[in-house]
Amino acid sequence: MAQRTKVIELYKTLLHLGKDYPKGYTYFRTNLKKIFTKNKDENDPQKIEKMLEHGQYVIKELEALYMLRKYRTLKKRYYS
Amino acid sequence: MASLGGLVRLVTRNAGVLGNVSRSGIRRTAVTFSVNHRASLAATEDRSRSILPQVKPVRPMLCYSTTSQKQSIKQIEERVLKVVAAYDKISADKVRANQVRHYSAKAPMTLELIRERVILVLKLYDKIDHAKLDLNSHFIEDLGLDSLDHVEVIMAMEDEFGFEIPDRDAERLTKPAEIVRYIADKEDVYE
Repeated sequence: MAQRTKVIELYKTLLHLGKDYPKGYTYFRTNLKKIFTKNKDENDPQKIEKMLEHGQYVIKELEALYMLRKYRTLKKRYYS
Repeated sequence: MASLGGLVRLVTRNAGVLGNVSRSGIRRTAVTFSVNHRASLAATEDRSRSILPQVKPVRPMLCYSTTSQKQSIKQIEERVLKVVAAYDKISADKVRANQVRHYSAKAPMTLELIRERVILVLKLYDKIDHAKLDLNSHFIEDLGLDSLDHVEVIMAMEDEFGFEIPDRDAERLTKPAEIVRYIADKEDVYE
C-alpha cells in the first residue's frame, strides 16, 4: 500500500475515533488537522513510516482512553 | 374407640400436609392404624359423613338454574342484541381509533434528490465557499480544499447516505457530480 493511502486511512480512522472525544469533536478535528498539515512536507519515507507508527500508537491511546472512561462511568454508577 | 382412631389418623394426615410431622409419629400412626384397622375404616366412613359437609349432595333447593324460569327465544335475543349494541357503540364510535397501517421505507431517491442532498452537505461544510460551489467544481483545484478536507467531505457523505465509501473509491471522487453518480450507482438509481 502506498504511504499516501496509509496516511489518509490513518486520518480517517482518527477522525472516526475522535467523534467521542471528551473535549468535543471540533476540538479534536482542528488539532488533528493542524498536526497532519504540520508534517505535510515530509518526504523521507522512513520518517513518514515512523509518524505512521506514532499514529497507530495514538489510536491505541484513544481506545485506552475510551475504555478507561467507560470503566470509570460504570464504577461511579454502581460502586460509589 | 372408633372415633379416636379416626381422630389420630386425621391429625397425622393434616400434619403430613404441613410437612412437620416426625418419622416416629408416622410410624406410630401406622401401628395405630394397623391395630385399629377396622375401627379406622369405620371412622373414615364416619368422617365422610360428619367432617366434610361440602361433599354432601347438593340439595335441589339451593342450586340456581336458568331452566327453572324459562325465557322465550325472543327475550334472549333481545337481551343479547342489547348487550351487543351497547358494546358496539363504545368500540366503534369512541374507543377504537381509525386503523391505518404505516410502513416505513427508505427515502425516495432520484438523481435530482441525490444532487440536492450532496449540495446541501457540501454547503454545510464550513470550508467550502458557497459562491464557488457547483456540481462540476473540483474539490482540490477549484474549491481550495486539501486532501484531508476531502477525506472529511467523503465522511460527511457516508454519514448522509448511510453506507461506507472505501478509500479506493473515495480518492476518485473529486467533484460533486462524481459523488452523485457514485451514490446513484450504489443505490441503483437510474433516473
